Amino acid sequence: MSNRTIPAYDETLSRVREVLGELLGDGPKSAGEDQPLTEALGDRYDSLAALECVSRVENAFGIEVDFVAHDVRYSFATLRRIAEFVRGELEDRAVLENRA
Amino acid sequence: MSALTQAQPVPAALSQSRAAGTGEPDLWCTYAAMRTLAWLGRTAEAEDAEATARYLRSRRNSDGGYAWSAGMPSDAWATFYCTQALADLGRPLPEPDGTAQWLRGTWTADGTGAAYAMAPGQAPDVWATHFSTRSTVRICGDGVPDRARLLAWLGALQRPDGGLSWSPDSRTSDVRACHYGAAAWFALNGVAPVDPPWDVAALTRWLCEQQTPEGGFRFSPEADVPCMWATYRATAALNILGASPSRPVEPWIRELRGASGAFVRWQGYEVEDVWASFCAVGALQAVGAPTADVADAVVARISALRCAGGGYTYREPEHAADALSTAAAVLADGTEPPGARESSGSPEPSVRADRITWLESCQLPNEGGLMYMPARGSEIRCTLWGLTAGAFAGEAAQPARRRIAEWVRGIQNPDGGFGFWEGRGSELLSTAAAVGVVRHLGAAVPELLDAAALRAFVSRCLGPDECTAALPGTEPTLRQGLQAQRIRHALGEGSPHAVTSLLDRHRVRGGGWANTGARLPDLLSTYEAVATADLYGLPLDAEHLRRFTDRVHSDGGTAWSPLAPGSGGPLADALGSLLRRRVDGALRALPDLALS
Repeated sequence: MSNRTIPAYDETLSRVREVLGELLGDGPKSAGEDQPLTEALGDRYDSLAALECVSRVENAFGIEVDFVAHDVRYSFATLRRIAEFVRGELEDRAVLENRA
Repeated sequence: MSALTQAQPVPAALSQSRAAGTGEPDLWCTYAAMRTLAWLGRTAEAEDAEATARYLRSRRNSDGGYAWSAGMPSDAWATFYCTQALADLGRPLPEPDGTAQWLRGTWTADGTGAAYAMAPGQAPDVWATHFSTRSTVRICGDGVPDRARLLAWLGALQRPDGGLSWSPDSRTSDVRACHYGAAAWFALNGVAPVDPPWDVAALTRWLCEQQTPEGGFRFSPEADVPCMWATYRATAALNILGASPSRPVEPWIRELRGASGAFVRWQGYEVEDVWASFCAVGALQAVGAPTADVADAVVARISALRCAGGGYTYREPEHAADALSTAAAVLADGTEPPGARESSGSPEPSVRADRITWLESCQLPNEGGLMYMPARGSEIRCTLWGLTAGAFAGEAAQPARRRIAEWVRGIQNPDGGFGFWEGRGSELLSTAAAVGVVRHLGAAVPELLDAAALRAFVSRCLGPDECTAALPGTEPTLRQGLQAQRIRHALGEGSPHAVTSLLDRHRVRGGGWANTGARLPDLLSTYEAVATADLYGLPLDAEHLRRFTDRVHSDGGTAWSPLAPGSGGPLADALGSLLRRRVDGALRALPDLALS
């Protein structure tokens, strides 16, 4: 098995709040896990902001998002989905590394 | 009956036709509505003014400028209309320093002085210079970067006939250019008195010569008929210069009141639109005529043109069709091939035929192209979309096609490129659209246009490797590169290698193409990628394209990108429909369309 550790959900969620907060201010810190970000952040979470969020999450967790293969609009609609998406990508990567 | 009525009768049924629109507010119309209310001293009566202010503020980009629609790059046109309308509503500008800074970024020298361009990298023109001088001085309270050089540039607009043109190298005098030049000078004069930089006697004489026996004004001696647009610009310019029309103009304006008491653009046209009332009220004020007797009717009519959620369009929102949406609706409907229209005598013409007929009605006197909305100036993109949708396809339309050809020939800028409409600075999008129009007309570019100048413009935009393109000082993008290569193809100098290189550089691994880099694919870039590859006869990787179309398509329509919500509206649906038909093999090649 890979030695890489998959962070716990709460830890991942906390880090997602922090990363998005650097870009969007306090909104992501106070938003509910399942609250749509378009609702929590209003016009600030438009498609350009979402694109920037994807980039920041990629950099923060060392993953790569495929805008076509991944359903980014779904995955990046709420904080919970982002955190679960990140954990899924990290798990996939760990499996691949183990195979290698 | 005016000459305009005789020249352009509009079938009454068309006003209720099945042409398509967005039902959303239009920026120009919103500005015109607010300005007209301000002229009449009735802005306080604007209903739901905060919603309109919100609509205007939503056009502001993070760079400080404003855009025609959300997501588009900033330009001087939108920046002026948004900031002026906000000022008319008594609303403060959000972060005016940022707007002033963006405006400074469009300041450009051209050898005859310095003036403003519509966007960074473009050549300066009098449209943009008027917009940005007024925005800078009156709205932002800033100063122009170099007043003396701006006055020199404005002075160089005067032609030997006395009129002003679009830029110092342009050869056509036009009352719109005269007004924009005069209004820019007037804004400067309001800060510190300075003489007009023209032979004012010659300029006013030329303007007065554009008045017709009916009393209205025409754009220039080349224009066929007088119109309300030219009448407002001419009378306002004369007023700024301290002069008056040679003959009374007020009776001609007042004849054009419709049933509600607001204005129509000509007798017999049943729609009293925001455009006509804006021009009529502006012209009445310019000649010192009273407006109190028309104010109630105009205010009531403008109120009826308000869109739900703020902003205004040119007529009742449910009937406010536009050329792009209507062409898009035809293109999205793949059930009938272009040209399969019923005869005009058919008792039940199809929706498709009705829409194409409406598109053809967007060709008015004086400018041969198609307008975005009735009574605006002809626009290159709208003309390309209209022709692509099947307008003027039959043999009987040859005269209309010749008018389009002459119009395209006449609006080529001295630098060889084209702008959105007559007199606007060149950029690749409009230049590629102009070439697409020429291709549609079945003409050869070197026969219709100044090919050497066109080649020189594209060369200035293309990088040394022929694979990138951008306006000077701006970042290259895939779409600009593809547009340049489509122009090259029309000049007989296309490079399949350059197109392949561009496509490889912006190909997104999972499907589609990205405008910048190779990360986020978008509909427009993917459409232009396939259309350009088709033009060059390059093979299509259908599976790569299908992965993208499957992601952006849903039962609700086509999204602009995998990140954008739901349907992007009729234009996105049209491009998406064409792409899907291409990937399914129902189309052998995509039509050459460009949007932004």
